[in-house]
Amino acid sequence: MKTITILSGKGGVGKSSISASLAVALSETHKIICADCDVDASNLSLVFGLQEKDYDEWKPITTNKKARLIKEKCNGCRKCLETCYFDAIAWDEKNKIPIFKEFGCEGCRACELICPNGAIEIFDVNNAKIGYGKTKYGFFVVSSQLEMGESGSGKVVSAVKNLANKKSDNSDIMIIDAAAGIGCPVIASVTGSDYVIAVTEPTPSGFSDLKRALKVVNHFGIPQGLIINKFDLNPSFSKKIERFAKDNKIKIIANIPYDKNFLNALVNLVPIIDYSPKFKPLFYDIVSKLKEELLVNDKKTKEE
Amino acid sequence: MNDDVIMTKIIGVTGGKGGTGKSTVATALAVELAKGYKVLLVDMDTGCPNDHLLLNIKRNFVRNIFQRIPKWDFNKCTKCGLCGKLCETNAIVSIKDKGPVFIPSQCNGCGTCVIACPSKAISWERKDIGKVYEGHGFDLDFLSGELKINEPIAEFIVGDVKNELDKIKDEYDFIIIDTAAGTHCDVISSLMICDTAIAVSEPTPLGIHDMELIIDLLSRLKIPFNIVINRYEKTNETIIEKVIGRYKKRIIATIPYSKDIMEAYSKGVPITHHSIKDIARRIVK
Repeated sequence: MKTITILSGKGGVGKSSISASLAVALSETHKIICADCDVDASNLSLVFGLQEKDYDEWKPITTNKKARLIKEKCNGCRKCLETCYFDAIAWDEKNKIPIFKEFGCEGCRACELICPNGAIEIFDVNNAKIGYGKTKYGFFVVSSQLEMGESGSGKVVSAVKNLANKKSDNSDIMIIDAAAGIGCPVIASVTGSDYVIAVTEPTPSGFSDLKRALKVVNHFGIPQGLIINKFDLNPSFSKKIERFAKDNKIKIIANIPYDKNFLNALVNLVPIIDYSPKFKPLFYDIVSKLKEELLVNDKKTKEE
Repeated sequence: MNDDVIMTKIIGVTGGKGGTGKSTVATALAVELAKGYKVLLVDMDTGCPNDHLLLNIKRNFVRNIFQRIPKWDFNKCTKCGLCGKLCETNAIVSIKDKGPVFIPSQCNGCGTCVIACPSKAISWERKDIGKVYEGHGFDLDFLSGELKINEPIAEFIVGDVKNELDKIKDEYDFIIIDTAAGTHCDVISSLMICDTAIAVSEPTPLGIHDMELIIDLLSRLKIPFNIVINRYEKTNETIIEKVIGRYKKRIIATIPYSKDIMEAYSKGVPITHHSIKDIARRIVK
């Protein structure tokens, strides 16, 4: 199975719209599975018209731990407070005991180890729910939603990828829709991918974030292709991005025009390829370019 | 208004989903408020900071941000493997009788290994994880943090910029904080110091889905908030009515879906739509 991750750095440039239509186009000739790795705000399945309540399964998962106080054993020495690197412990001056804050604890156990009285214990937190459902196009989407305020998104992303692997059932391709940004969850999404599609738009922000995201991808040495969405909004800026791609030997696999149908498709919960058939050739073309790219890179790997 | 007591007001601009217009609103609002007040704009989207691009402000480097990381004295290390066993972020891989292998990019500096090491073989050094920038333009001051590529913990950069902010915040009437997308630790940390927040959303099922999440977060943080609907148009009104009917009173402005606004944005010009003046008026009140 080949894993293709779609990312952008900047949010709202069209990652999920493009991921969904690419998935539908690929599924006509390949067996595929999708993994929504934006665990902060997961909504890829919505683009397919698949609601959370229509999933086959949801279950809580634990990828995180937290600390809590055993009050009777605490002698108020404040060592835990001084040790916590995440500012997750406050001091209750009235009762002379530490307070473990609602947000911030990373479950690192430093406070548990430093406490001379064994007054701190570590417990497992259900920090996310994970599930899968079948789209009307016949393939599965695996998603997760982090519980509000919980940390550990990188590990939850890994859990989504693991479940997608389990459910892949000899799929040819896994499509991963990554979160915005370039932090922990995006790094976890990109790890182990065979190919990365970076989506950008011709705006100063889109371009700046693209360059930062691609640096993360380059760190892992993963081959990459570029899609310029809404390229005709600022053609001269798009040219600038094209020059950048050429200088860095990144293949441009599509220029997608600005079209209000993209918004209407989203509003109607139908992938654009299905909502507006005039976009079919565009996505079929992306599929064939993607296949070429994967073949070329396979060859390169073999030669090495 | 009582001019004797002027409190600095910190306003967070957030939204959950990426690309809903957080930075567009934050920058335009800061520019609008700066016409009559002393304003500081803080870009807390440390993974992908863009406010300086939107305003075409030159950023000046202030200093690097460091995070502590462990360092091993292999003369003392007995290769017991405990540090690797305890490391929650998998930054230390140690197999018994073989020395530990350390992956600095995974380390969150928690210190558990340093505390636990029975032979006191682990001490501290530091790694560079980002930068602080400042700038000026449109009669406002600007502060921004930027995460170094491949560093996972944006929250540390936010924390550092917050410390910087603490030193200077009393000099301003209004501080506008532009958060990252999502609802994660860095967004939470940014919002925690805000007196009030603006959730910028777009009238699509995805935008609304993520707005519900950020509203949940703001409610838990007990931060009063208002909503701005970006890319608003009549054809989507049913979505707005249906899904966020219950928040209707909180919608303080709508920005239309227009190619003109998008083109202006793509050229790096702050938008001056009357909706921004509406928001500013509400905030000053």
